[in-house]
Amino acid sequence: MVEEAPRPAAPDEPASEIAAWTVLSYLITGPLLYGGLGYLLDRWLGTQFLVGVGLVGGMALSVYLVSVRYRTR
Amino acid sequence: MSALLAVRADGFVAPDVSNFWQPIFGDGPWAITRACILFTLSGVVIAWWLLAVTRKLTVVPGRLQYFTESVYGLVRNSLARDLIGSRDFLRFVPLLFTLFVLILLNNFFGVVPPFLFPTMSRIGFPVALMLVVFVTYHYLGIRKHGVGGYFKGMLPSGVTGPLVLFIYPLELLTYFFTRPVTLALRLFGNMFAGHLLLLLFITGGEFLVVESQGFLMKIAGAFSYLMAFVMTMFEILVQFLQAYIFTLLSALYIAGALADEH
Repeated sequence: MVEEAPRPAAPDEPASEIAAWTVLSYLITGPLLYGGLGYLLDRWLGTQFLVGVGLVGGMALSVYLVSVRYRTR
Repeated sequence: MSALLAVRADGFVAPDVSNFWQPIFGDGPWAITRACILFTLSGVVIAWWLLAVTRKLTVVPGRLQYFTESVYGLVRNSLARDLIGSRDFLRFVPLLFTLFVLILLNNFFGVVPPFLFPTMSRIGFPVALMLVVFVTYHYLGIRKHGVGGYFKGMLPSGVTGPLVLFIYPLELLTYFFTRPVTLALRLFGNMFAGHLLLLLFITGGEFLVVESQGFLMKIAGAFSYLMAFVMTMFEILVQFLQAYIFTLLSALYIAGALADEH
C-alpha cells in the first residue's frame, strides 16, 4: 500500500476549520489575559503604562503561539 | 416653511435594555418572563413536530418529512460527521441536532408575529446552552487523556524555554474562558443587538409618522419602516447563521477534545 505524502488541509477539511477558530481564540485570549494582568499590576503599583505593555505583549505572544502551532514546513 | 422642517424629538423613548425584561407572572429573579414561556413553547413545538414527522415515515418522503430530513442531514452530515469523524460522531448527533433546532426556532421567534421576542437575547439562555457544551468537551477530553494528560496536552509543542511559562496560561485560559464565553456571548450579542435594532426602526418609524410634526418627518418615518423591513430580512439571515455557528463550534470543540494529536 503506497503511503500518500501528507498534504496541507483543504478549506473544507475540519483540521483547517478547527485551526481557524482556534487562532481566533488565541488572538482574543492573549491581549485579554496579559492586558488584564497589566491592569491589575497597574492598580497595585500605581503606574499607568503596564496595561498597554500587557496588551501589546499579550498580542505578540498570541501571534507567536499561532505561528508555532500552525507552522507549515 | 417652518411647518415642513419642524423637528419634535421630545417624547420619543428610545428602546433599551429594559425592553428585554418582560415578566409575565411574578417579579424579581423568579419571575416567569416572556422568554421563559417562549422557550418552553419552542420545546413543545419541536417535540410535537418531530413526533408527528417520525410517526409515519415513508421511503418516498412527503414535504414535511423531506424538510425534516434536510435539517437533520445538515447537522448529522456536514456538522457532526465531517467535523467529528465517521467513527464516533453518532453519539453527538442528538446534542448537536438539539442545539441547532432549539437555537434556530428560538431565534426565529424574534421575527414571527405572535411572538416577536428572541429568547437568546436574554443572556441566561445562551449561557445555559454553552454550559452543556463546556461540560461535554472537557469531560470528553479528560476521559480520553486522563486529568494529567489533558492538562499536559495543553502544553504547546514547539515552544522553547521560558516562553512556555507565558504561553501555557494563555492556552489554559483559551480552553476555560475564551471558548465558552465567546460561544455564549456571540449568540447573545447578535440576538440582542438585532432585536434592539428592529425595535428602534419600528418604534422610531411609528413615532415619526404618527406623533411628529412636519411632512419631512413623515417621509423619514416611512424610510424608517422600510429600513425595519430590510433589517428584518437581514436578521433572519443572522439568526440562521448564529444557530449554525453555535452548533459548528460545539462540534469543533467536541472534535478537538476527541482528537489524538495533543
